[in-house]
Amino acid sequence: MKVTLRIFRFNPETDSKPYYKDYEIEADPKDRVIDVLHYIKNEIDGTLTFRRSCLHGICGSDGMRINGKNMLACSILLQDLGYSDANKTYKKPLVIEPLPGMPIIKDLVTDFTDFWKKYETVKPYLITKSQPPERERLQSPEDAELIMEASKCILCACCTTSCPSTWSNEDYLGPAALLKAYRFIFDSRDEATDERLDIIDTPNGIWRCHTIFHCVQACPKEINITWHISQLKKKLVEREI
Amino acid sequence: MSFKHYGSRKSGSIGWLLQRITGIFLIFAMVGHYILMHYTPETGHSYEQSVARFSSVYWKMFYLTFISLGLWHGLNGVWSILRDFKMKPWLAITLYGIIVISGFAFWVLGVSTALKF
Repeated sequence: MKVTLRIFRFNPETDSKPYYKDYEIEADPKDRVIDVLHYIKNEIDGTLTFRRSCLHGICGSDGMRINGKNMLACSILLQDLGYSDANKTYKKPLVIEPLPGMPIIKDLVTDFTDFWKKYETVKPYLITKSQPPERERLQSPEDAELIMEASKCILCACCTTSCPSTWSNEDYLGPAALLKAYRFIFDSRDEATDERLDIIDTPNGIWRCHTIFHCVQACPKEINITWHISQLKKKLVEREI
Repeated sequence: MSFKHYGSRKSGSIGWLLQRITGIFLIFAMVGHYILMHYTPETGHSYEQSVARFSSVYWKMFYLTFISLGLWHGLNGVWSILRDFKMKPWLAITLYGIIVISGFAFWVLGVSTALKF
């Protein structure tokens, strides 16, 4: 089939403003978006720049906006985007853009500095104050289940950059950082719950979440992020009253 | 270096909880309003019928609760939306002041009207 990819291009060294460039290519419905991007980079235009690493939906490097939705380019087939007829020439272009709301370094590559700072703010590591046991700190299967879904996050930033609250307030922690906060606050082995709750209980913290659910729609790991954030809100209310 | 937040810690948990409680009250109040004013119009739209309702202590309590919770819910919602935007402190204080003053003024107006009858 023939598909046109309309790709967001911007090189801050040569371009005064971003523009879209069309690439018409031959593709298979079972090609992933990352495959066709590789084809363009390797065979048509070597200047096209995008991030990718594992190519199997684990590293979270190739989060981008595909036909208006944040997703991983390595985890979506063309046929899943409506390009399913191998013998057809599609007129509707496949639009590829960088994740929204982030500074653009070049083409589809965005600057994650702010995202990582927010991530660092919630202290994404186990904090313990008691004496360490002789072996590892044990956890029951029930306690592990509480944080199982939150632990699946691959930090691709698809959720945070799809959140309207993040777009309007760049200081808002965002769903990814809050999900990580949940992961440790509800970890039975962690001993810094109050410290962690103080971090998210700020004007630009958890209360900027208005359960819009964009993060849930965007998450390539199908994590119900809004539910996890709601659990944090309930925990804060319980602490306050 | 950790990410720095603007503003000191101020829990929004009570406001969040109250917004939900008042929201639930308003859903029931809205259904009651619909039944009373639209589904059963014979219950009264005239001035005399409204005055008769206001003279009942139960209706008076309902209207006072409605005025207080409705105003709080609406204005807290507006403030919550405004807080989504990054604002300079002077602008935030000004808007907050407008909300508080107008909320109080409308509350006094509503309460004094309800108590007149």
